[in-house]
Formats: sequence, structure tokens, C-alpha cells
Amino acid sequence: MRVAYYKGCLASLSAKELDTSTQALAPMLGLELEELDAVTCCGAGDIHEAEPDYYLHLNARILAYAQATGADTLMTICNVCTLNLRQANHMLQNDEALLARVSQNLEKVGAPPYSGGVEVRHFLWMVADDFYDQLKLVAHKGLKGLKVAPFYGCQILRPSKLMGFEDPDRPWSLEAIIDACGGEAIDYPAKIKCCGFPIIQAREETALGELIQPIEQAMEAGADAMVTPCPLCHLSLDAWQQKLEASTGKAFRMPILHLSQLIGVAAGLEKSELRFRRHVVSMEPVLAKLEGPS
Amino acid sequence: MDVALKIWRYDPESGERALKRYEVEAPEWACLLDVLDIVKDQVDGTLAYRKSCRMMICGSCGMRMDGRAILACKERMKPIVDRGHVPVISAMGNMPIVKDLAVDMGPFWQKIRAMKPWIEPGYEEYPEGGEFRHSQEQMNPIHKEALCIMCGCCVSECNSMEADPDFLGPAALAKGFRFVGDPRDQAKVERLELYNSEHGIWDCTRCYFCNERCPKGVDPRDAIAKLGAESIKEGIDRDMGAKHAKWFVRSAVTTGWLRETELVPKTQGLVSAIKETKFALSLAKRGKVPPPFPPHVADKQHEARMLRDLIATQGRDGALGHVQGERALSRIEHAVMADPDHAGRRRDAPEITPGEAPVNRDIGEQP
Repeated sequence: MRVAYYKGCLASLSAKELDTSTQALAPMLGLELEELDAVTCCGAGDIHEAEPDYYLHLNARILAYAQATGADTLMTICNVCTLNLRQANHMLQNDEALLARVSQNLEKVGAPPYSGGVEVRHFLWMVADDFYDQLKLVAHKGLKGLKVAPFYGCQILRPSKLMGFEDPDRPWSLEAIIDACGGEAIDYPAKIKCCGFPIIQAREETALGELIQPIEQAMEAGADAMVTPCPLCHLSLDAWQQKLEASTGKAFRMPILHLSQLIGVAAGLEKSELRFRRHVVSMEPVLAKLEGPS
Repeated sequence: MDVALKIWRYDPESGERALKRYEVEAPEWACLLDVLDIVKDQVDGTLAYRKSCRMMICGSCGMRMDGRAILACKERMKPIVDRGHVPVISAMGNMPIVKDLAVDMGPFWQKIRAMKPWIEPGYEEYPEGGEFRHSQEQMNPIHKEALCIMCGCCVSECNSMEADPDFLGPAALAKGFRFVGDPRDQAKVERLELYNSEHGIWDCTRCYFCNERCPKGVDPRDAIAKLGAESIKEGIDRDMGAKHAKWFVRSAVTTGWLRETELVPKTQGLVSAIKETKFALSLAKRGKVPPPFPPHVADKQHEARMLRDLIATQGRDGALGHVQGERALSRIEHAVMADPDHAGRRRDAPEITPGEAPVNRDIGEQP
């Protein structure tokens, strides 16, 4: 299956490990990724808030370049990109006048027009749905019953009318993937709550008050690691744990996996593709467990 | 039909909490509120909850079902009974519990009042002639916000408010936009200044629980985004949240991609950023602070810059940029809800109910 691939800002910059592991997995699953060179940032909710008309045009431009590849699916690997692009797409697909204005504007600046012909889907949904049987074959090395706490993050669940994939209060997709990879999914209430990332710079105290909940609950539930489909959740869970340690005096050393890394480990990807050395919290305890006796 | 449910009871005098199971006979058309009435009438008269209109307009019967804030008068019981499910009913979150399912709405009303929820017409006495007509088009920007019934369902689930109890929150800020966007109001800039306080607009973490829960389609998060857009349009951008948002715009028009490494100093200022040096170094060691040079520039990036200049002349700036998409978004059906098999596909959803136990910061405190 050939899809247009929108990796977004973080996977191009601070979370390159997400991109390399996704690119390495894709052919194993039967996914052909068409990279988009001319696209920009989706605005990450910030341009949506600051200049909403510009947000709509930037996202329409991304959709237009995806449509120009001939693919009918634009695959994302970030929650925030997913919400921004799906929201813009719904606005354009359900309002002819708005679509006409935006598409004409795109053409005026030399971009391809957009006719609403692309569906935006996250890698998580594609693996949990279209490629689930293939996943079971790909994940041949398994995870030796590793206890993994799924962390969904907000903008792949809510608003559910824009997502349309799973029950936002009782999601199942990450659990199904952990299962197929041979891990044990840990359940805990905060898995559907916010990691605090959007305000971690402007309101750090509020953000840390949110971030602590999932990590603490996952620890209490006995998780060896957490997994998330969003590089922004990954960044706050992984990099800001040290700030939780500083503010609470407690030790937090929860290893955080990108979804593509979790599958990648079970599929036997190379170290150079998984790139765990780019994480702030060490992945060593997890790797030791996987290499030890089953 | 036979209805079974569990209710988190709370007795303010003893401070005791208990999850109790009730089974009653109810008509097939019964909603949760009808069932609670039957429980109170036939099983236990001490059960406490609020109600009034029974038709989704008074906003009294907000509570949680299986961890979700809902209006008891809006939830039909038959599909739940047919599924063989025994729902757990508890009080709303983020507000102190008075007794059982009744919460103290005092802090909620305080925040609504702090928004100055009245029209400031800009004159003391009616000018000569006395009548002012407004078109539907002028009123459209606040159509959704005007639907709010102040039930508190959005506030119940607000993730920012759990971490910062002083956050003005989704209901109050949606009320704020109801006045900022009203063409009759003449105090827009003063209001935006007020709502840009430490616990205002930029304290929202964009978890979208408020949009998910609102039983009236107000979409409070979108109202907060409208306030953000109007603030920046009016040049009210001293808050770090506004600076953060503006840097994304700046990045898009200069390189196309987020200039990630410069985001911290641009948001927090150079001095604060320097104080974070140790933290930044711990990230840099792991390749999490990409060098700003050479910049990561998108192909045909000039198109993104030209687009911004082009649309600046088209009159959809500020909150209108949000309003223009509302009609289209309102046409989306709840795909997940419309397809009951969808949620249970592949495997059963896990057993844990978020918020099943009434986790409440102020539990036990009396108003």
C-alpha cells in the first residue's frame, strides 16, 4: 500500500529516531512511504490558535501536496499533526465555498490545488487496523511479556468526531499492538489524559502537574516501559521526567518508547534504526530484560 | 426493564465513601435521571443529586457515568441495559463534593463572574433613536458559545484545572468569548487583557476533554482558540503562551518548519532560557536540541510565506478564521458512536474506567 508520508517537525529534528524506525518498519509491513519535500509545519495547534486562517491554508497546502502524489492516504506519525490535518480536511471537505477559496489561494502562490481527495490517518490506526495480521508476522522476536503501559495522548482520541477511529474513553489500538508484539499491556486510568506538552514552556508548573499522573500510575501498575504514538508526548514524558524528580524528590526512570520503536524491537530492527541513545531516560533496563532468559 | 447501576455515595458527616449497587425496574424510555428518581423514591431516600428541567436546558444534573461527565437527563438507559452493562455513577471532578452526586459549584460561578458576563454597551443612556439592529451574520461568531447551559461537564474533566485549580477553565473562557465576539459589546480589548491573566487563555493544555464532553456542542476549546486569535490580532501578546504561538507563525514564514531550538528563548526570553542551560544540555547530549544552522528549510517554502501575505487581504483574520470552519465541522456525524461495533472491534476495551473512583482533590471538605 502506497501512502503519502508526513513526518512533521519533531521526527525531522529532535525525534529523528521516530522517523528512522518508522521508515525501517514500513517495507516489512507492506507500506510504501512517499515522502513530501515541499510541505511545512502543520502549526501544532499554535498557528491554529494565533492565526486560524493561516493554519487552514498551511494544512490545505500539505493536503494538496499529498494529493498530488496520487496516494489517497496521508499517513502521520504525530497526534498533533493528525488533529490539525484532519480538522482542516474536514472543514474543506464539508464546505464547498471554503474549499474553493482556499484551493484558489494555493494555486495563486504556485502550489497544487486541493479537491478534498485525501484521508489523513495515523500510523497507529493503520497498524492496528489494515496491517494487524502482517504485524503478527513482523513481530517475530516478541517482547518476552514486557509490561508496557500504553499512553495515547490527547489529540489522537479527542475530539472523537474528528478522529472517528476508536472510543476516546476506552481505546484499544495500542493494547492490541502490544499484544501482537508479545508484550503485556498495563492498564491505568491516566492513559487517555494529557502529558502537558503544549504548555510545558509557557506554564511549566501546570504541565508538570499533568505529566506526573500517567508516569506515576504506570510505575505503580508495574510497567517496564511506556509507549506513545506521539513525539510530543514522548518528548515531555522522556525529557521532562528529570524535572519531576527535581520537584518531587522521587526517582522517575520510566523508559519511553515511540510506537515504531516498540514494534521495531519486536521486529528485530537494528540499533541504528531504533536509536535508543537519543532518549534521555535510559532504555537499558528494558533491553536487558529482553536479552535475558524468558 | 431491569436496570442495575453502581453509585459512589459520599456522606459529608462521616466522610465515608462507598460504591453501592442498586437494581430497579424502570420504563424503557428512562434516562439516567429517571432511574435515579426511582432509586431515591423506592430504595434510598437519602441519595443526593441535583435536577430541575429534565430536558437538557437547565444544566443541573451534571455527573459522571463510567468516568465521563454527562447530563443525567440526556443518557438513555436502554442501550446500556441491552449491553448488560452496569454503569458506575459518580460526582463530577474538579469541584468539591457536597454529598453523593452533588458538587459545590461555588468556584465555578466565581470564575464565570470573573469574566464580567454582561454586555458593556459603551454608553450610560440610550442615544436618540434608541434601536440598534444586528444581522444574523454579525451574531454568528458567538452562536456556539451562546448555547452554554453552564452544567460544568467541561470543567469536570479539564486536565489543566486538575493541575492548576485557579485556571479560569473552559466554561468561563467560552463565556468570555460570548462577550468578546458580541458586536454590541464595546469592551473587547479590556476583556482580552483580563482573560490573558496568568490563569487565563494560555493556561489551556489543549487536551480537548471539554469539547468531547460538552453536551450542547459549545466546544469550549475552540472558544479559547478564538480568544487567542483575537488577542494576537489586537496585539495582546505579552504572555509566554502568545509568544510561543507567534514563533510557530514566524517559523512557518521563514523556514516552513518549526525552528525548535529557538522556541525556548523566543517564548521565555533569553534570561529564563539561560537559567535552563543545565536542562538544555541534558537534552542536547541526546540530540534533542538540533542546531539552528543551517536551518531546516522546506522546498518551495516561499509559497507558505506568500500564502500569509495573500490571505491578510481577505478579511478572515482573528476569530473569524475559526468561525468560517464551524459549519463544516458541525456536519460531521459521531462516527464512533454511530457504529456500536466499532469500539469493540478486535478486542474488548480494557476494564479500567477512567475516574471510576471519585478522585477529588477536595473530597471531604465541606463548602
